[in-house]
Amino acid sequence: MRRHQTAVYRVCYRVLGDREDARDAAQEAFIRAYGKIDTFQGRSAFRTWMLRLAVNVSLNERSRRRPLPPELLEADSGSGPEEAAVAADEVARLHRALRSLKPNHRAAVVLRDLEGLTYEEVAEALEVPPGTAKGWVSRGRRRLRELLL
Amino acid sequence: MNGVDDIRDLIPAYVAGELSGEERRRVEAALEGSPRLREELRRYERLFVLLAAAAAEEVEAPRDLESRVAMQVALRTYVRAAADIAGDLLGAYGRAIVYYLRLV
Repeated sequence: MRRHQTAVYRVCYRVLGDREDARDAAQEAFIRAYGKIDTFQGRSAFRTWMLRLAVNVSLNERSRRRPLPPELLEADSGSGPEEAAVAADEVARLHRALRSLKPNHRAAVVLRDLEGLTYEEVAEALEVPPGTAKGWVSRGRRRLRELLL
Repeated sequence: MNGVDDIRDLIPAYVAGELSGEERRRVEAALEGSPRLREELRRYERLFVLLAAAAAEEVEAPRDLESRVAMQVALRTYVRAAADIAGDLLGAYGRAIVYYLRLV
């Protein structure tokens, strides 16, 4: 669990946009993992299997919860030169725009562009064919472009 | 779909480095002759800079996540075992109580 908890929590946080909701979702994802560990067949990487649970819990959580929170809590910003050139409020705008995407598109963009998964891994995590995963990423990016730039 | 729309749809994947060599050359050729497509390219480049900045944010899991999970797993296991015992002892009535109280 220790090895995957940061990635699981991070995905929940990026999909849900709220630290408390993300903690609850990550907790539920690990509890489900303990309950379903015998169904893990090793066809996918354990990390991808865990992220699938995290995304499922987060999207279910989102659909039954209150409307999206007004602001994403500030996270520590990166220290690389490229990141330094981006103002914190621009990243906050990106997070707000992400939260306005359709849930499947948001999850696909989070996994591909923020978590760096391959399209095959995104497809496995979202339990859809790779072509669908690619389409969701594409539509999510296009919508972000429309909203932000 | 006409050629410009086709190329415009490829631009995000071009910026992300996801295109094949042939697709990349098609996009680059179209970009040379179209200021509109170059403007679109500039916007997507900016979007990917923002995405990279967001990806670089450090998001740490809460320190108590592991202990909370362990406690919940233990609690649910205990409640499930207790519910099974109640069901065995009290039969259908016991199972109905367990269901009513949402213990499992």
